[in-house]
Amino acid sequence: MNNAQESTVGLSEALLRRAAPSRAALEDLVVVPIFAVVVALVLGAAAMLATNVDLATVGRSYVALLNGSVGSVNAISETLTAAVPLTLAGLGIALGFRAGMFNIGAEGQLLIGGMAAVIAGFSFAGLPAIVHVPLVLLAGALAGGLYAAIAGWLRAATGAHEVISTIMLNLISYRLVDYLLRLDFIQREGRSDPISQSVLESAELPRLLIWLDPNLRLHAGVFLMIAAVIVINWLLFKTRLGFEFRASGENPDAARYAGMKAGLIIVLAMGLAGALAGLAGANQVSGVLGRASPGFSAGIGFDAIAVALLGRSHPWGVLLAGLLFGALEAGGRQMQVEAGVSIDLIGIIQALIIVFIAAPLLVRTLFPWGFRKAERAEREE
Amino acid sequence: MPAYKTAFVSLAIVAALAASTHASAFTACQVTDTGGIDDNSFNQTAWKGVLDAQESLGIEGRFLESQAETDYDANINSLVNGNCDIIITVGFLLGDATQKAALANPEQLFSIVDYAYDPPLPNVLGQVYATDEAAFLTGYLAAGMTKTGVLGTFGGINIPPVTIFMDGFYRGAMYYNAKHETKVSVLGWNPETREGLFTNNFESLDDGRAYAQNLYDEGADIVMPVAGPVGLGSAALAAELGPDALKIIGVDADLYITDPNNGRVYLTSVTKRMDATVTEVIERAMNGSFEGGVLVGTLENGGVGVAPFHDMQASVPDPLKAELEQVRAGIIDGSIPVDE
Amino acid sequence: MEIELRRITKRFGHFAAVKDVGLHIRPGEVLGLLGENGAGKSTLMNVLCGLYAPTSGEIVIDGRPVTFAGPGEAINAGIGMVHQHFMLIPVFTVAENVVLGVEPTGRIDHLDLARARGQVRKINDAYGLEVDPDALIETLPVGVQQRVEIIKVLFRSADLVIFDEPTAVLTPQEVVEFFEIVKSLRDSGKAIVFITHKLGEIRQIADRIAVLRRGEIVGQAEHPDAVSEAELAEMMVGRPVSFDVDKKPYQPGPPMLAVKNLTVLRGNDEIAVDNVSLIVHSAEIVGIAGVQGNGQSALVEALTGLTHVSGGSVTFNGQDITQASTRERHRLGFAHIPEDRQRTGLIPAFTIAENMVLDSYYDDRFSKGPNMLWDVVNTAAAHAVVDFDVRTSSVFDAVDTLSGGNQQKLIAAREMSRDTDLLIASQPTRGLDVGSIEYIHSRIAQARDEGDGVLIVSSELDEILALSDRILVMFKGRIVAEFDGATADKGTIGLAMAGRY
Repeated sequence: MNNAQESTVGLSEALLRRAAPSRAALEDLVVVPIFAVVVALVLGAAAMLATNVDLATVGRSYVALLNGSVGSVNAISETLTAAVPLTLAGLGIALGFRAGMFNIGAEGQLLIGGMAAVIAGFSFAGLPAIVHVPLVLLAGALAGGLYAAIAGWLRAATGAHEVISTIMLNLISYRLVDYLLRLDFIQREGRSDPISQSVLESAELPRLLIWLDPNLRLHAGVFLMIAAVIVINWLLFKTRLGFEFRASGENPDAARYAGMKAGLIIVLAMGLAGALAGLAGANQVSGVLGRASPGFSAGIGFDAIAVALLGRSHPWGVLLAGLLFGALEAGGRQMQVEAGVSIDLIGIIQALIIVFIAAPLLVRTLFPWGFRKAERAEREE
Repeated sequence: MPAYKTAFVSLAIVAALAASTHASAFTACQVTDTGGIDDNSFNQTAWKGVLDAQESLGIEGRFLESQAETDYDANINSLVNGNCDIIITVGFLLGDATQKAALANPEQLFSIVDYAYDPPLPNVLGQVYATDEAAFLTGYLAAGMTKTGVLGTFGGINIPPVTIFMDGFYRGAMYYNAKHETKVSVLGWNPETREGLFTNNFESLDDGRAYAQNLYDEGADIVMPVAGPVGLGSAALAAELGPDALKIIGVDADLYITDPNNGRVYLTSVTKRMDATVTEVIERAMNGSFEGGVLVGTLENGGVGVAPFHDMQASVPDPLKAELEQVRAGIIDGSIPVDE
Repeated sequence: MEIELRRITKRFGHFAAVKDVGLHIRPGEVLGLLGENGAGKSTLMNVLCGLYAPTSGEIVIDGRPVTFAGPGEAINAGIGMVHQHFMLIPVFTVAENVVLGVEPTGRIDHLDLARARGQVRKINDAYGLEVDPDALIETLPVGVQQRVEIIKVLFRSADLVIFDEPTAVLTPQEVVEFFEIVKSLRDSGKAIVFITHKLGEIRQIADRIAVLRRGEIVGQAEHPDAVSEAELAEMMVGRPVSFDVDKKPYQPGPPMLAVKNLTVLRGNDEIAVDNVSLIVHSAEIVGIAGVQGNGQSALVEALTGLTHVSGGSVTFNGQDITQASTRERHRLGFAHIPEDRQRTGLIPAFTIAENMVLDSYYDDRFSKGPNMLWDVVNTAAAHAVVDFDVRTSSVFDAVDTLSGGNQQKLIAAREMSRDTDLLIASQPTRGLDVGSIEYIHSRIAQARDEGDGVLIVSSELDEILALSDRILVMFKGRIVAEFDGATADKGTIGLAMAGRY
């Protein structure tokens, strides 16, 4: 501050120079997450030891975790396959956060989007894949977006808080999916349990690596994920709409004073967030499952909240967080197969990572040597 | 001990070790459905079959729990790459995923509990159970035991491996009515319309309690929950009300044994001996007699059965016990059809 | 207790916030410490309170040099500070807050609140503070909360009481009461340090004045009467400061903004603005004076399209804009400096460049199709920053790193660098130092000289008097008086503000 005052003569050129990110900011972005992961793994090991798992097995299970997430082509394929829906839905949540909306409803939006996608996927026989696949994805995005927009509209028109309304919409979506799956035109022929018809082959996201090994599940959804990250990054930081989202999220009063239409922004932000969650649902039915059944959302919509938080609501951060969670999911499976350690442990480790990321000060206290003296850094600001 | 003897013994030990390590190279892998490996029900029973084979055949067993339906494909997939000699998937809900994996990996042996493919796949052996035969017997028993004249049942999901219990239960009770000119009714399932009472999950003990409470409120004094661990909630309710007011008929395993806390409320259980068939399948795979198709467990071959009455032994009248033996013989020789 | 600071220097990295400062603080005397924002006043006092260790120099109390390892030791030595932002727990009572951290406990270690209450009463009586020990903090007005902070300090037996910008949060009436309290503290023999940047205040209350600029003592006055406000201002800013706003003779143009019988409700039934009519001409500054909370905020919100109007009409250059949205008015040429720069004027976490286009980002200059033209925005922001003297090293700095004065200049830059016709400014200089006030006033006058209509709303009567061509007084939602800016008399306006005109 005071430094700045001494150099006021600065020309426009100096003013347009971007300051390098401060060391504290870098530490928050890079060092804290790394330490958080490490601490979570250490505490996870402690949890295993506490439940009478011997040290050798703990070691084996972490080797299996690594192997199962990045140790082979199949492992990477599984990691990416799990990361795609998490990242897509996480982007939606992050977009909501940026616009000041705490959207708990990704799970429901994902279910509704997936249902629309599955219907589009088994209808329209005879379409070429190049038309059918985009149609399926569009149906998912549209349905998820409209479903989420309900919560946005409720907030804008009546002030009903989106946390409550999206939780309620989740509950509605569970039952709605149960009901839809039993309708004659959706339910698979010859089945009395709620399960949809399979999507047509032309509606499936193509598998990318079956030429290597038919078991590799990696599908074209991974491109969708990367495209979504790029588009949302552009939207948030390069466009007028993104500026409005971020302004409303940071300071809704100032945004209103600046003439931005709060209601419209809320509905749009929720709609877009829901579209991304719906896209995640469409990706699941058309890339992974090929059908819909009551539990096909598998909690992805809730994990996505953690992904968005971990990614600091930044699109690239969300991508990294999605990949980490995908790796934990794929590696966790291997951990169970090879070391016989319960899959629940992965849940514990994920939770611990979030706890430590959310509490950077705790991490700084635990690893004082990893950081510059916080006190000095602050005073120099 | 002479030197040569020592050498011989050492050799024998080495050989035995070698043999045992060789034997344990055969690996049987199990994928559970979302109920988990410790569901006190069919996942656990099937796993017991693997453990039995581990004891008797010296194989190695592994399992992988599914946490969500989306895990089925991935879990089977990760085992396909994990050097399993046979992959055993448990449950109707894994039918699609198992088929997909079996078609993609024709060299890999699979066996699926509670499912069969038509036409059969050459590398998949389906294990299905004529549970209606055993359930018929418990329906007959329950009709003979009820004081209120009302029986109840409910299921997890409306799928064949569940409703087949309810069919047998219902028809057994009706057979009793026909024979004794009584008017015992069965709530919770109608075999004609294929509609009934379902919790739509295999997890919630709270649902098990609530559904049993509903049936009890409607007058039922014996209830058969066909929903895996959900039934444990019903048993907890029965334990509170007392077995005189409400008795439970268990399914899949002998719940008197697997749910010892509430053992006294179980009149009996319809046992589905998945452990026996799983061990059988592993043995076939080991000795090379494995063939794709169907393995049906029946009353006759012991694949299904009725558990002992345990604490209720005294309360079941002897004439009824005798009749049950006659009905059992009738079912086995085909003179009593269970499916009409 | 007599305290001497000897050649105190405090460096942060290479930057010296306080340089070689020597000060004498005597019992029974109020030392006024005057300086602009960022002059080093707070750093100096934080050294005295033990929050910072000085880089060099020493603190001498009653002839003995002391060093403080932390604030606790300074408190034990009898030094207490009342911070600008109160540190009270809203859901606790006064007594509970006062004893927090030094709770009197009974024999079995239970909290002895009765004793705490008694001690609070004793302090009350000794200094005439009149605070109910059992009141909940959140129910108390700001002025009383400040007294609770004072009690806290006295409870810890402070002999030196430091007030950091104590009047910033107080209403004029509360300021009067506060000064009485300060005097009674002084008369009881306490040493007082009064930190402020307000010239009028310091001359009223201080017995001695020291002026700090860029970390150094640039002047001392043994008697406040010995220096004029202009002299103090010059010492503080480092150059002569003019209090008279320089503007062209009053030659109003045609009517620009015409408000007729405007009524605005607060909530659903309470009338905030009651049948107000007013006109702002081109090339005219209309000032609305009034004690805060008499409907000025609602009036401004209604004029800028931020709140619903329940009656009356607003026309702008002959066009009815009663129902027009904020954005529409903006396009017509409205500029608005909101009253609360942190809450409604700026987005503190955003960069300077982003804040600069907060209400014009949609303009063709700054965006094309869906895309923002950030390069154009950044360049424009850099020019505006230079033009309006916003002191920053880069337009990519977050706004919350700027001082209040620079934040306010940033808002002025945003609103006035556009081509606008009408400026509505609420509390345009609240909490700013002399230099910034002077600058913003001159820009407002310049806008008027260029033909803009200006409506100023301020609770600072001096500001209204300095700027306005015409003065309207608002009381209980109504315009109760109108004065000519050139001839208006402060006393008469004051009476009108109190509803007695």
